Amino acid sequence: MKLDTAFMIDRIPDFIQAALLTTEIAAIVIAASLLLSSIYNVILYHRLPVLHTLVRVHVEIARNTPLLIQLFFLYFALPSLGIKLSNYDTAIIAMTFLGTGYLTEVIRSGIDAVPPGQEESGLAIGLSKAQLFRYIIFPQALRISTPALFANFIFLLKETTVVSAIAIPEILYTTTSYIALYYKTYEMLIMMAAIYLLLFLPLSFLLSWVERRYQHGTFGT
Amino acid sequence: MKKTFRSFATMFATILFVTVLLAGCGGQNSKTSNGKDSTSDKSSTAGAHASGTLQQIKDRGKLIVGIFTDKPPFGFVDEKGNYVGFDTDLAKRFAKDLLGDESKIEFVTVEPASRVPYLQSGKVDLILANMTVTEERKQAVDFTNPNVKVATQLIVSDKSGIQSLADIKGKKIIVTKGTTADIYLTKKNPDVELIKFDKNTESLQALKDGRGDGYAQDNIILYAWARKNAGYTVLADKLEKEAPIAPAVQKGNDELREWVNQELAKLGEEKYLLKLYDQYLRSELGPDVNPNDVIVEGGKWQ
Repeated sequence: MKLDTAFMIDRIPDFIQAALLTTEIAAIVIAASLLLSSIYNVILYHRLPVLHTLVRVHVEIARNTPLLIQLFFLYFALPSLGIKLSNYDTAIIAMTFLGTGYLTEVIRSGIDAVPPGQEESGLAIGLSKAQLFRYIIFPQALRISTPALFANFIFLLKETTVVSAIAIPEILYTTTSYIALYYKTYEMLIMMAAIYLLLFLPLSFLLSWVERRYQHGTFGT
Repeated sequence: MKKTFRSFATMFATILFVTVLLAGCGGQNSKTSNGKDSTSDKSSTAGAHASGTLQQIKDRGKLIVGIFTDKPPFGFVDEKGNYVGFDTDLAKRFAKDLLGDESKIEFVTVEPASRVPYLQSGKVDLILANMTVTEERKQAVDFTNPNVKVATQLIVSDKSGIQSLADIKGKKIIVTKGTTADIYLTKKNPDVELIKFDKNTESLQALKDGRGDGYAQDNIILYAWARKNAGYTVLADKLEKEAPIAPAVQKGNDELREWVNQELAKLGEEKYLLKLYDQYLRSELGPDVNPNDVIVEGGKWQ
């Protein structure tokens, strides 16, 4: 097998463009999901009526339907109801919907894992439930859930490949488009794998470094 | 804490054990099947160059064909769940004449963009999925004689204000990845904003949802669709002049290509394609279309 390296080199600018778009979508989605899932956990912790149920419904739908189906639903089914979103908006909304579902569960498990003694001590010194959550429970819960959170960040980054199905020119879309145009199947697949590794490996190392730093001085160790 | 750890460890070990067991079984199976027949082993490594020689197909007892399943009337799924269509039925006829039985066939669903890779990697013997013969594709696969002719045209929404191909500059045009329309517009019209989908059905849905001003595709599909959907017009101008559509085999598989050519010539004598045309295409295209503008009987191009 002979690789057409000149062709691969010519395509590098397009792949960089695609990688930037992938990173951009992932960054927005991760930030939005983290924010939303934190709010969701405030709702869950305080057991706010109605909202509590809505959060559970969202989490269960997000976790139990495939992302591709969510995307197709938003992109191809909603226009018949008169709601027409652009493909970029659809991608962000669908992925945030999914990401929030997963991150909510991760943070909730972190909250559950905070030793009950912490809560009791907080109540004993007269903190309100809101103060308790804000100053005692939530910071510890975040620290406990960092490994799982980071694993889910990487998961979300990888899930961006799915949005190629609604014509977002990210890395997979770029790859399949060039295969379709020039039939350089091996070259483009190798290129795609290389770009994803270049994106994810450093990130993975960075996250484990942050994780190690953040785990210092955890209560009870 | 220790207890939970232990139960976790047990669970993990069980899963590991089962996996190893299954993997072991799989490995053994493939070993016996390889050991039984050393010739088939050898030919499967040779398959990297030219899979699906006639002898291999006969030994295997089935013809493996890549078809469309979402592109009526060429390849689609009927109400009973069977693969049918103009191309699909032709493939069944090939299997019948090559192996004596039309059920000795394995269909592989392909997308426009995956047709060439499927042949390149030797996963199918033959692609019968409405593939237009182009110079680029000739570099990657070998075409047999054609069975259909086609031109690429543009269907536009009547609201888009596009009257002819001269108006498409700066407009949003939908294409299906890897089709001749995609290749043509990507290279020749960089001033058009292209929206690319993997499947023909997705592209048509996107057109219906107003995600683009028009959709460029093979005219036969567009004419058939426009008959069922009001508010859309197929522009008369052709993107490119008429081109042949032909079955394709892996590069260098002259044996199978030659067989298909002879088969097409034979079927031409009994006007088999016209029969398929009456069955699948006539009702879709309407009475005004002359069958000889669409089908190429006997593999004879012009």
